[in-house]
Amino acid sequence: MTAEPMMPDPAAGARGSARPAAVADENLRARLGEFRALLVISLLMTESVSEDQILDLAASSAPGLGPWRIDGYSFTDGLWRSGFGHAGSAPGGLAGRLAALGSGGGRVELPGRAWAWAFPLRGTNSLLGHLIASCDREPSAQERFGIQVIAQQAGVAVANARLHARECATAAELAAANAALAETVASLRRTMDIHERLTQVAVSGAGQPGIARALHELTGMPVAIEDRYGNLSAWAGPGRADPYPKESFAKREQLLRRLMRDAKPVRDGERLCVLASPRSDVIGVLALIDPGRRAGGPDLVALEHGATVLSMELARLRGIADTELRLRRDLVRDLLSGTDDDSALIRAEALDYDLRRPHRVVLVAGKGRARAQDALLHAVRRALRQARQTGLCETWSGQVAVVTAGQADWEQVSRAVAADLDGPCHIGVGGPAARPSELSRSLREAGLAQRLQQTLLHGSGACDYPKLGIFRLLAGMSDLTDVNAFVREWLGRLIDYDTRRKAELVHTLTQYLEHGGNYDATAAELSVHKSTLKYRLQRIRDLTGLELNDPDVHFNLQLATRAWGTLKALYDQS
Amino acid sequence: MAGTVPSGIDEISLLPGSHVCAFYRGDADRDRLLSGYLGAGLAAGDKCICVVDSELTAKRLQSLTRSAGRPGYAGRQLDIHLPESTYLAGGEFTTSHMLTFWTEGMLKAEHEGYSFFRLAGEMTWALRDEPGVENLIGYESELNRVTSSNPVVVLCLYDLDLFSGQIVINVIKTHPQVLVRGVLVENPYYVGPDEFLRSASG
Repeated sequence: MTAEPMMPDPAAGARGSARPAAVADENLRARLGEFRALLVISLLMTESVSEDQILDLAASSAPGLGPWRIDGYSFTDGLWRSGFGHAGSAPGGLAGRLAALGSGGGRVELPGRAWAWAFPLRGTNSLLGHLIASCDREPSAQERFGIQVIAQQAGVAVANARLHARECATAAELAAANAALAETVASLRRTMDIHERLTQVAVSGAGQPGIARALHELTGMPVAIEDRYGNLSAWAGPGRADPYPKESFAKREQLLRRLMRDAKPVRDGERLCVLASPRSDVIGVLALIDPGRRAGGPDLVALEHGATVLSMELARLRGIADTELRLRRDLVRDLLSGTDDDSALIRAEALDYDLRRPHRVVLVAGKGRARAQDALLHAVRRALRQARQTGLCETWSGQVAVVTAGQADWEQVSRAVAADLDGPCHIGVGGPAARPSELSRSLREAGLAQRLQQTLLHGSGACDYPKLGIFRLLAGMSDLTDVNAFVREWLGRLIDYDTRRKAELVHTLTQYLEHGGNYDATAAELSVHKSTLKYRLQRIRDLTGLELNDPDVHFNLQLATRAWGTLKALYDQS
Repeated sequence: MAGTVPSGIDEISLLPGSHVCAFYRGDADRDRLLSGYLGAGLAAGDKCICVVDSELTAKRLQSLTRSAGRPGYAGRQLDIHLPESTYLAGGEFTTSHMLTFWTEGMLKAEHEGYSFFRLAGEMTWALRDEPGVENLIGYESELNRVTSSNPVVVLCLYDLDLFSGQIVINVIKTHPQVLVRGVLVENPYYVGPDEFLRSASG
């Protein structure tokens, strides 16, 4: 800035005048003009909300009011501000002097200045500090008045500015608190919207497609729901890949472990995934497709709440499946044990199964390498699916009972189960039951057929009770005394020998006769060497004294072995 | 008030011959004062002559003639100048040159058919390091002589963020009216031109 334009002193100009009255008048006008200037300066200071502006204006106004200089401001909090606006240290000894002055004003000493005075800076009801002004000479009382007014007005203006600053700070804090509150309310409202929307889906029965659609609408991102193996259960939004990509088993297991461990949304490449697992054996994965990584807090809330709703849905579905499974199991057990027709038909209808057609019971026995019963049940189900057969399957005394209306190729089913289990499989097929209450009879027939197949017939296979011929005739006799006597007559010595020696002569004889006297086939069936077979047959001849090649002997022995098998099966059954 | 003209600022009316010093803070406040003052003059059909400190301010004010100017008058109703061609023409400030500028401007406008004049000057030029700027207060005092004898109102604009308190006090002493934050402060004891010259020569 250039040099300050100076106001000439009208009083000085008039001093040479010979008219004292005019000089006095000009002096008075000058003083009154100065008061107007003070009034305007006061107005300017009062309207200012900046403490620096106020103090700068006060300091720069001083030379306009007389031979003044404002050296600085000393505040009660210990701060010093020079008249030029610089912070720093107060001149030495000033602080002690000001403390002694208290709330009043008074003379102070400043280095290099002839005269200096501390004018109090007062707020509305407290002392803010002092304005330190100095002159090259001792000023007149009139000159002192102007600077005193400046100090008073500066004090009030500074107090107002500080009050205003505090109010602004308070207002800013309130505004910030309001903004934070508004943000919280907006966030809560959005969370409530998310909960409401997804809760509607949960109760609407829209299922997994409904959950995916709702989450897509809430986030604007494509949504996938997958089962534990990565198969797609539902999709909503654009960009669905066809075919749906499936990751490797190891990678899938790794992702599931991360989801279980973190128990929160986890980023998996372009997806944000979360686990929905209402119980350890039920797992689903809910994924937001987010290649741009723009999912924010509300999206994560929606995803997590979506996972909760999906868990409920998965639990519901599994519950339905479990209930249906239990009802089916109970129905099958009751059908096999014997139940009344009306009850069975109603329950079957509830399970959407038509039991009004004639059914039969098929019993499947087999043994795999591990978890025999479950493995057998699954093997039977798979074999039935391959054979396009429907029916109710259930485990039954270590075997699997199938209640079916179909007429499958049971030999083929037997081979399929045997291959699946990598072990033998014996199937017994009961006779048809026109009504559900007759299925217990079909079960007995199936059991008999299955045991005959297992004990008398060769290898894995199926035995159909209605086609049993002589076996069926023997099994149907109410009095077995004569049959027993006949068996004892022809096979008694061999039976006793087997019992005594834990041998298998009756079984060997049975297989020999069933294979039409063929040594190779019989040895293969018995899994013994041909010489062993020949030894056993000689032993049989020695013990019975019978000639096996005699047609009459052959017929009676074959009838006796079949009767023995039938009796054995009947006794086992009972 | 009979015989007064609207200032266009905060419902304040002015008597013809008024020389008002207006204090403001920052460009927005200045633009508010200038647009109100000149807008009222343009709406009333006054000749408006204005000196502003920058091209940017000049361009903003030009839009006023399009929105508020009265059609039918010869010549431009609003003349806008910069300090380089007015206060500081020739590279220095002289009071006489500037008073001539205003007087000739009013004479020319009178020939064009205007009967009332509205003058405004943004005084920031006085802060430049140019010869003669120290004569600002004397100029302000002399300007009272021009205004008192013409159908004119004059507004001198001082930015409180730039001018020191000492200049503010001296400006107040030489202006019969001071406009501060919407308040028109009368100063019947202002230093008139004759008194100023006498003091300065003494």
